[in-house]
Amino acid sequence: MTEVLMPNTLAEALSMISKDGHDVLILGSGSDVIPRIREREIVPKKVLDLSGLGSELNYIRIEGNVIRMGALVTVRQIIDNELFKGRLEAFLQAGRMFGGPQIRNMATVGGNLGAASSSEDLIPIFIALDAKVKMASIDGDRLVPVSKLVVAKRQIDRRPNEIIREIYFEMPDDSSWTAFFKAGRRNSLIIDLINMAMYLKLNIDGTKIEDIRIALNRVRGKTPERAYKTEEYLRGKRIENETIARAQEVLDSEVQLSSDFRASAEYRKSLDKVILARLINNCRDRIVEGRRTGN
Amino acid sequence: MKISVNVNGRNVDADVEPRKLLVDFIRDDLHLTGTHVGCDTSSCGACTVLLDGVAVKSCTMFAVQANNRNITTIEGLSKGDELHRLQSAFIEEGGLQCGYCTPGMIMTSAWLLSNNAAPTEEEIRNGISGNLCRCTGYDSIIRSIQKASSDRRGGRK
Ligand SMILES: Cc1cc2nc3c(=O)[nH]c(=O)nc-3n(C[C@H](O)[C@H](O)[C@H](O)COP(=O)(O)OP(=O)(O)OC[C@H]3O[C@@H](n4cnc5c(N)ncnc54)[C@H](O)[C@@H]3O)c2cc1C
Ligand code: FES
Ligand code: FES
Repeated sequence: MTEVLMPNTLAEALSMISKDGHDVLILGSGSDVIPRIREREIVPKKVLDLSGLGSELNYIRIEGNVIRMGALVTVRQIIDNELFKGRLEAFLQAGRMFGGPQIRNMATVGGNLGAASSSEDLIPIFIALDAKVKMASIDGDRLVPVSKLVVAKRQIDRRPNEIIREIYFEMPDDSSWTAFFKAGRRNSLIIDLINMAMYLKLNIDGTKIEDIRIALNRVRGKTPERAYKTEEYLRGKRIENETIARAQEVLDSEVQLSSDFRASAEYRKSLDKVILARLINNCRDRIVEGRRTGN
Repeated sequence: MKISVNVNGRNVDADVEPRKLLVDFIRDDLHLTGTHVGCDTSSCGACTVLLDGVAVKSCTMFAVQANNRNITTIEGLSKGDELHRLQSAFIEEGGLQCGYCTPGMIMTSAWLLSNNAAPTEEEIRNGISGNLCRCTGYDSIIRSIQKASSDRRGGRK
């Protein structure tokens, strides 16, 4: 590593990587890459530090019903923001278990998307929210649905001249909720066994699932993915023990979780089923509660 | 790489190696050795400093990332010979034994109390969950932080 590029504006940053972007490692806060650089797992030629772009890339705002977050927003800023206190509870649930306090203060959203090591916690939530990532380059912006972002472990659909600029999604309406759960050995460890995020919308009278999106990590090629078949099965169904039991079977057959030295695929699957039921009930209860109290 | 950083209220212009970690810059270049290194896996929190008032791990950042920002280390908490109330409280409540974790523990606590003047025990436990201590079993640390919090509310500096 011979040089750190320290731009003060996004335009400057984009022109710095317009040509030899291949050789440049982008640095959000560094909480993912610096430990790896220290271990010499990665040996970057150049680093582009985004720290100077706070005024352009650090914002959380709502426009109409669309929530937009700049790439430099930290996990801490998300959990402290009022917008995330209700239906976006998934972020709080993930945030509480994310690294330790200092890591939450550092870790950026752009870095979480960029790390894509298969244990990133925010990615499944963004997938469940059907969020879109805005990539910036000197040629203009390009949109990538988060569900398509991770192409392989530690590899995302980003061109060498692009910087993740923003991620945005629709605020769930008052018949919907989001939830997240991760099962791991210890909260502050980087690597969790399994995580799952859910978006659930009930129908008008609150009896059936109108819409649902389920995302979990470490599927097949170790990428986060939607459980489409399970979603399809659940859509239009009443939330009853039998439905949940059947949904668990669908999930079980649909998802090919990867085995590794931390947990067998079998163990993951049994966890998965428990988490599925838990998230469905969590979302349903909060929507019903919200209706009762008028929130 | 040329950077300018405000460290404990003092402006410092420096020329640092690109891959120098912030903690090495603080310890080796600035000779502020109160900030400790207790691991090489980003897990112990001994290296915690405040970056623009927020607790971060200085072993998990490059020095260049602190360019144009404010750093507070344990040396910046006391005013001359007068200890910060957190430091006094750690001494009075036995919040340290070997003391290795203490600077990081105190910097994290300073950040915690700046956001929440009267944290509950659970909030304190959560707040220091990124700082490891091999010696104390944490109870005396928690009492120390509680004492500093009530001292502050009682008007002690
Ligand atoms: C002790 C510890 C505990 C952790 N616990 C968790 C946890 O519980 N859950 C979790 O999800 N993660 C965890 N992590 C991993 C890490 O903190 C997160 O992935 C974090 O969100 C990374 O953000 P960052 O800004 O530090 O990324 P960086 O390390 O700066 O970057 C990560 C990757 O993203 C790329 N990148 C960063 N920003 C951009 C951008 N704007 N545009 C394009 N590419 C970009 C980088 O090039 C790099 O490849 C932990 C890490 C540590 C050290
Ligand atoms: S030295 Fe252990 S976390 Fe920084
Ligand atoms: S007092 Fe020894 S590590 Fe905490």
